[in-house]
Amino acid sequence: MQTEDNYTDLTALFEAQDASLDADTFVAEVMKPIRNRARWRTPLLFGAGGLGLGAAVSQISVVLSELPVPSTPNIDVSLSAAQESVSSLANVNPVWALAAGVVIVCLGFITLTERA
Amino acid sequence: MQSDTDLAAKAAKGGEAAFETLVRRHQATVRGLTRRLSRRPVDADDIAQAAFLTAWRKIGSYAGGSFKAWICQIAYREFLQANRKTRPEVEFDESAHIIAFDNSASRMAERLDLDRALGDLPENQRICVVMCVAAGLSHSEAAIATGWPLGTVKSHVTRGVVALRKHLAAEHVA
Repeated sequence: MQTEDNYTDLTALFEAQDASLDADTFVAEVMKPIRNRARWRTPLLFGAGGLGLGAAVSQISVVLSELPVPSTPNIDVSLSAAQESVSSLANVNPVWALAAGVVIVCLGFITLTERA
Repeated sequence: MQSDTDLAAKAAKGGEAAFETLVRRHQATVRGLTRRLSRRPVDADDIAQAAFLTAWRKIGSYAGGSFKAWICQIAYREFLQANRKTRPEVEFDESAHIIAFDNSASRMAERLDLDRALGDLPENQRICVVMCVAAGLSHSEAAIATGWPLGTVKSHVTRGVVALRKHLAAEHVA
């Protein structure tokens, strides 16, 4: 520590130099890109998320009517069967695919812009 | 007054005002550090700004302890990156010290003495003196920031301080 080495006088000289620096301009420069980013990030995320949600909700009834209902419930649905169902649903109604796309874009955007 | 840890926790949740307080609180130390490391005041503030922006992105990884040491470590890494890019241009520039800090004539003379004394130190000694003496980091914090062994940092600081004092004493006699 500096006290052990007894150079507090030198530290005081350096601190006096640093104290003469203009803080306001520098702080404003640092905060500008941070504030700008926050300004468009929130509306964009909520806007895209809302659009995706709206599209998904509007298609629920259509999707449910298209789903094949098995006579006996079977929870062991294979991945390939699920993929087939999704692709067939997308063919029947592309809005469903659009909603999924918006969700994927939103997730990707959050992943890219979110801080550690 | 809120502690750095509290402010950092708020900033990690998106609190811009909390982060602004942290920037205001530590800007002098970080800018002083980058100015003395880079020796080019024009680049130094850009490096300091980049350090704070990196800190904003990574504030969630700040795990307590000295915020000053954390931000100085980031600033040192930013300096190394910038130094790598502009290596051929990094030469000691006497005129840079005049632009660096502006104040009264007596202060200016004192400042020039300090800057000259720092400029005369070997690179590694200068880095350790800037971190420990000027920025006020502990030897262990400086060792973590630079990645050098603690003993090496201590040795550089001790020798650097002796050289600084000798230089300043000679300036005052002259």
